[in-house]
Amino acid sequence: MGSEANVIVADGLRKYYGKTHAVDGISLAVRHGEIFGMLGPNGAGKSTTIEMLEGLRTPDAGSVEILGLRQPRDATAIKRRIGIQLQTTALYPRLSVTEILDLFHTFYRGHPTLPTDDLIRLVDLDEKRETRSKQLSGGQKQRLSVALALVNDPEIVFLDEPTTGLDPQARRQLWDVIRALRGRGKTILLTTHYLEEAEQLCDRVAIVDHGKIIEQGAPSELIQRYFQEIAIQFQDGHGGSDAYTRLPGVAHAAAEDGLVTVYSADVPRTMAALLERETSGEGKLRDLSVRSATLEDVFLKLTGRALRD
Amino acid sequence: MSTVWTLYRASLKEFVRDRAALFWTLAFPILFIVMFGIIFKAGSTTYNIGIVNSDGGSVGLGLMQTFKDSKSGDSNVFNVQTYSTQDEAVGALKAGKQDLVLVLPASLSETATSPQPATVDVFYDPSHSASAQIELGLVQGVITQYAAQHLQSVPKLSAVPQSIQTHNLSAIDFLVPGILAMSLMQLGLFGTAPALVSLRQDGVLRRLGATPLPRWMLLASQVLLRLTIGLTQTAFIIGLGVAAFDMHVEGNWLALLGLVLLGAVAFIGMGYLIASFARSVESASGITSAVNFPMMFLSGIFFPIASLAGVPVLAIIIKILPLTYLGDALRQITVQGAPDFPLALDIGVLAAWAIVCGLLSARLFKWE
Repeated sequence: MGSEANVIVADGLRKYYGKTHAVDGISLAVRHGEIFGMLGPNGAGKSTTIEMLEGLRTPDAGSVEILGLRQPRDATAIKRRIGIQLQTTALYPRLSVTEILDLFHTFYRGHPTLPTDDLIRLVDLDEKRETRSKQLSGGQKQRLSVALALVNDPEIVFLDEPTTGLDPQARRQLWDVIRALRGRGKTILLTTHYLEEAEQLCDRVAIVDHGKIIEQGAPSELIQRYFQEIAIQFQDGHGGSDAYTRLPGVAHAAAEDGLVTVYSADVPRTMAALLERETSGEGKLRDLSVRSATLEDVFLKLTGRALRD
Repeated sequence: MSTVWTLYRASLKEFVRDRAALFWTLAFPILFIVMFGIIFKAGSTTYNIGIVNSDGGSVGLGLMQTFKDSKSGDSNVFNVQTYSTQDEAVGALKAGKQDLVLVLPASLSETATSPQPATVDVFYDPSHSASAQIELGLVQGVITQYAAQHLQSVPKLSAVPQSIQTHNLSAIDFLVPGILAMSLMQLGLFGTAPALVSLRQDGVLRRLGATPLPRWMLLASQVLLRLTIGLTQTAFIIGLGVAAFDMHVEGNWLALLGLVLLGAVAFIGMGYLIASFARSVESASGITSAVNFPMMFLSGIFFPIASLAGVPVLAIIIKILPLTYLGDALRQITVQGAPDFPLALDIGVLAAWAIVCGLLSARLFKWE
């Protein structure tokens, strides 16, 4: 990866709140034109990191370079070229979609902006253009908030948990918007705690836990890196994964809340051994399923915990 | 500058569309005026005055006649009753039968026509009369008028050591400037502090901070919005006073405008200062109420501060509160009310509050 293609470069970012290490040494590089996702549970430090990249928070240590400019030194110049969507969307509840977008245009006077009509079409709010923002649904509010991030036709768009709290349909609708942005040559950095979102939407993913990036790469690449195996999953009230790691064909096993996941390189042999254990009463095989590994499995393997929606 | 204007218009739209906020901003002061207006109108503008005339000369008789003849429109201003002794008259005052008692000393006619200053005692009961200041002013006015007409060569004949009223100041004239001052204070406090904290709490300040918009522009638009609301309130309050309650506005409109703006800025500054400390909308509302309450009652808005100044602690508090000075200045400018302080001092104190609050909040205000 040529460094000139990196539009976001963070090196050794740290942010401490008292004794809490919210961000504990994060380095990342985002390439031009990709959708880069930071995946992790709530409180992992994703929002703090994205806000340091945006220039809304000052890191205690580390450096941030955006489009070749440095935070916080060039913060104002950077703000003109990036688009920011924050988790909170409360904004002028009694102004209409069109009025809010028009207002934001005046903040970028003297710089190229996207016309309000185009933005409304892009986020599919045509029917709601005269609706006051407090009357919008959660998904519509999120799309308005994405549209606000696009007013200045930014080169990089930062989206902090853009689909949190949305129903599956609204979430997919927003994914389409985000893909359309990539189609226009934008670079997108987003945070999410939805595995499915990271897997389906992101070109590359950084898995964040306890303020650190524990792994990063393309979702398929990560899965392959950790699992050549197939996942066999079932409920076993006894808990504990140790008994399963010794079974034939098993490369790795994990258990959480009685849900056992066994990763097998030889499914027929492993299955035979599992069935034998059930027959002999050693274990149970309730809700059995066999599937290929997902990012969820990667997360589970790396952190020992499940990341659930 | 056009960005400030657009932001201002957006905030104004936001405010006007909030029907409840709009209603209370205008209805609250109007409610006060209507309430007090009706109370004072029902009490009429005739004051009961007891006079003890120990003077056998022409001045005593002349003054008595002048009080009897004083008219406001078609009705008498004073209902005069004579008493033979001071004790008897003061007893009637204590019983609430008289609003005021005037004691004309034995040698009044001699001293009044000599070069010596002559005085008459006026007794009043602040606890019984919400408008004692007005009555004292009226009495002073009558005496001065008499002295000017009949005792040209005499330098002094005064009732109370106060400055001079040359026209009748009605209760509503006293109240309306006070209520205007109160509204400006509440605009600065309730209208500013919780609103700002909620902008911060909801992340609006953060979101705007994520754009290249300079912060001062946001501040400027917010201050402009509140000044607009303040001027609208002023128009409503004075308009209602004049239209419905015969308030006599005699001041300079330009001076009024300037004073309203200065007062609004001082209290908006205070609102910003509160917003700098408050962490949540609830705590902002709490602090605001705590500041509002003493000011409302210790600044001479509803009754003259003379009736409170007897308590030493209160006397100090009264002289610190900016609302005291705004009320005093507005009374002087709108209805030529008797000054508690020189106008320049009023303006100076308000400006000092504005500057101190402004500087402190500029240092302390947190955007996140």
